[in-house]
Amino acid sequence: MNGSMNGSTNEALRSEAPYSFGKRNGSSAVFDKIFTAVVWGIGILVILFICGLLFMLLKNGLPKLTWSFLYSIPSEIEEGGGIGPALFNSFYLLAISLVISIPIGLAAGIYLAEFAPDNKLIGFVRICVEGLSSVPSIIFGLFGIALFVEMFQIGLTILGGAISLAFLNLPMLTRITEESIRSVPVEMKNASFALGSTHLQTIRKVLVPVALSGLVTGICLTAGRAFGESAVIILTAGVTTSGVMWDFNLFSPGETLAVHLWYVQSEAIVPDAGEIAQKATSVLIFIVLLINLVFRVPLWLNARKTRS
Amino acid sequence: MIEMNSTAQNAPAELGNSIRTGSGPSFDRRTRLRWANSAFRIACIAAAGFVCLVLFGILFLMFRTGILTFQEVGFAEFFFSTDWDPENGHYGALLFIYGTIALTALTLIISVPFSVLIAVFLAEMTPKWLRNTLRPVLDLLVGIPSVVYGYLGLTVLIPWLRDLTGKPLADGLLAAAIVLTIMVLPTISRVSDDAITAVPKKYRDASYALGSNRFQTIFRVVLPASSRGIVYAVILGMARAIGETMAVVMVIGNTAQIADSLFKPTAVLTSNIVMQISSVEFDSTWNYALYMMGFLLLVISLLMIVAVRFLQKKGASE
Amino acid sequence: MRKWFKSLTAVALALSLIGGATSAASAASTLKGSIVINGSSALLPLTLQASSEFKKLNPKVKISASAAGSITGPQAVRKGIADIGAVDWDASIDVPGFKKFDGQVANPVAVTVFAAIVHKDVKVNSLTTKQLQDIFSGKITNWKDVGGADEDIVVVNRKFGSGTRVNFQMKALSGTEFMSKGDNYKEVGSSGDMKTTIETTPNSIGYIDLPYVTTKMKALSINGVAPTEKNVLNGTYKVWGIGYFMTKGKPTGATKAFIEYIQSNTFQNGSLKKLKFIPLASVKNLK
Repeated sequence: MNGSMNGSTNEALRSEAPYSFGKRNGSSAVFDKIFTAVVWGIGILVILFICGLLFMLLKNGLPKLTWSFLYSIPSEIEEGGGIGPALFNSFYLLAISLVISIPIGLAAGIYLAEFAPDNKLIGFVRICVEGLSSVPSIIFGLFGIALFVEMFQIGLTILGGAISLAFLNLPMLTRITEESIRSVPVEMKNASFALGSTHLQTIRKVLVPVALSGLVTGICLTAGRAFGESAVIILTAGVTTSGVMWDFNLFSPGETLAVHLWYVQSEAIVPDAGEIAQKATSVLIFIVLLINLVFRVPLWLNARKTRS
Repeated sequence: MIEMNSTAQNAPAELGNSIRTGSGPSFDRRTRLRWANSAFRIACIAAAGFVCLVLFGILFLMFRTGILTFQEVGFAEFFFSTDWDPENGHYGALLFIYGTIALTALTLIISVPFSVLIAVFLAEMTPKWLRNTLRPVLDLLVGIPSVVYGYLGLTVLIPWLRDLTGKPLADGLLAAAIVLTIMVLPTISRVSDDAITAVPKKYRDASYALGSNRFQTIFRVVLPASSRGIVYAVILGMARAIGETMAVVMVIGNTAQIADSLFKPTAVLTSNIVMQISSVEFDSTWNYALYMMGFLLLVISLLMIVAVRFLQKKGASE
Repeated sequence: MRKWFKSLTAVALALSLIGGATSAASAASTLKGSIVINGSSALLPLTLQASSEFKKLNPKVKISASAAGSITGPQAVRKGIADIGAVDWDASIDVPGFKKFDGQVANPVAVTVFAAIVHKDVKVNSLTTKQLQDIFSGKITNWKDVGGADEDIVVVNRKFGSGTRVNFQMKALSGTEFMSKGDNYKEVGSSGDMKTTIETTPNSIGYIDLPYVTTKMKALSINGVAPTEKNVLNGTYKVWGIGYFMTKGKPTGATKAFIEYIQSNTFQNGSLKKLKFIPLASVKNLK
């Protein structure tokens, strides 16, 4: 009896175990293969799509791009106008708005992630901040008008545009910072505290470096979005430039490249409007790429530091 | 675990260095540290306070102006009528509310599966060189101005849809949803990508050690572990989809009628706001109604965020 | 806060003036001031060109322009946030959809011609006022009813508040209401969008300022009269309007000089003509 039982179990094991193991393995292996194929397929599809999109955007503008286009003054009548002042304003305005929004956004994000009490009010504020990123940018533009044009009466200026743009960026920056800081494994934080670091040291030396990848993504996304934003700038900084290059005056009107693109596409009469739009688009794409690279430098440095 | 230790060892080593090289008597250092700590804390609180100030400034602006709508328009008419004809005194905003919700839902249905798969692809499957080229390219797509997307939609997508369906005019929800998908895809996939990358390697190691394959590891371990970040990515994408204006305006048709088909020209809250807010008199019910719609947009996105968070909690507790 | 900001503005202005004085000391003009222009986007190319020329003559005058929509112009002037409100109709009198603005002076600056346009494949070349009215109000929905092929008409309209729309409604449709719903009806936000939509949509009809008409679309004759500058000047083509710069009371200082520059013969017969607007003087007698 025992023997036969043993025998049968043994037999069953011998015959079934590899089989059942193999079967389970088989179905999930098939799933795994299908899944891998699907993800690779979609990945390649999206890569092709992005390449096609970039090709479509760049094919008409890039070959015609010249250096003089980048620094000459726009023209309303004759062909051959450039984008010089608008390009300069784009950088200037973006820089000012980032100087304002990055410290505030990071600090507010760190507050929400590290210091804020976990109560209903903070939860509500958090959801409001998220919701604010869905407010159309034109509302921020109207807010900017109410603040700078009506209240402070400084007219349409680079300063007003930059601050309004910073307002637009704050919600996204704050929440991305909070999320990145929160995604740092709690063990690291505990280890830092256990070694006697203060909260500030922990944030500076552990949380921020570890969360840096997320922070950089956040800053890149907001900077890119700010660079391409037009509605806010049209309302708060105007559609004119001061007409000269290298005008650092904060109270000059500040048409940016995206605004110029909007203008050229929607109202300009100049005969080569279509070509200017295509060239401006390629310039924009290159600059956004540049911004991404610049912001990635600290990430590489950090990676090198932590690896060594 | 091994991975964890190696990174965890680094940070303390640095901390130790900074303490060792710190000068002055220990008491001095302690007061300095305490002072720096509280100063930093106050700065953070001030920054958060400032963000709230801006937030409530904008809420206040929209609400203060928007609420004036109801001097002349009844609540019921504004929220339950689909007749938007302000020139003749009809202010039914339901069709825009419906349009916004339908468009956002449609966009998410198309974009979320794609984006999450792309994120998985980027974080788990691609060789390093491809990943390092693809990530900046995706970031690049975020920075392309929405007018460019709108223009492409108008000149490439809509003629294509028109040929496909045989309709004389293909503007509508589907065209807008496709354009929006292209716009939010980089945002959702990049933020999810970061969330997936942030999942500690030990989870994967443990999963593989238990004999799971890649499919099982990703679906049972990695995605659940990064669900918080992915949900946040979806919310970010959703918020952008709800709030996007310049591109939507060019492909949705801007006609104040409820969309009973994917190809019928219609309008959403944002497109209507952006088309009309600079074209009506400041002190008119029409203008107030547009501000009210801006406020409503915020409320809708808050409700949707709460709904997504609720779904996430429900999913997590199961 | 406000005061502080104003003094900051003053300091910055002073700084910029010192900077400006050294670089452009040779310029003869001593006119100072700043001009803020808001309003119609259709007049923007004109405003931008005029301001860059004017700034060359008067380097100490600061001009900033923005554009959101015609009605924004006079409203911004009324609120005191702009010195000049560019608008495509005379905002000191009532027009369809908009009441007049009291206390504002309308300074005419240019004449614009509007044309009904169709996609280049549409067979129809001319429409009567009645046919245009019926098409834009949705009574005629097929091209075969006006002598074209058996295809649905796609009506493309500008958004409410567009100066082109107000003028087209008044002059080409004699005030008839536009349709507002339908499967084949859409509205666009700008002249550029109108141009692109008509160029890419078969069987579409819309209307646009004459300077934007391209070879990829067809401008229709109205009642048999083609929309050309010649026909406007000889009085047969009636669909044109005057663009105005609204000011609070009579313009003064830099604003006055700027408006006078735009109205001057040099600008009217020079750049303004090149921008394909029509000089004011040539249509004065037709009014």
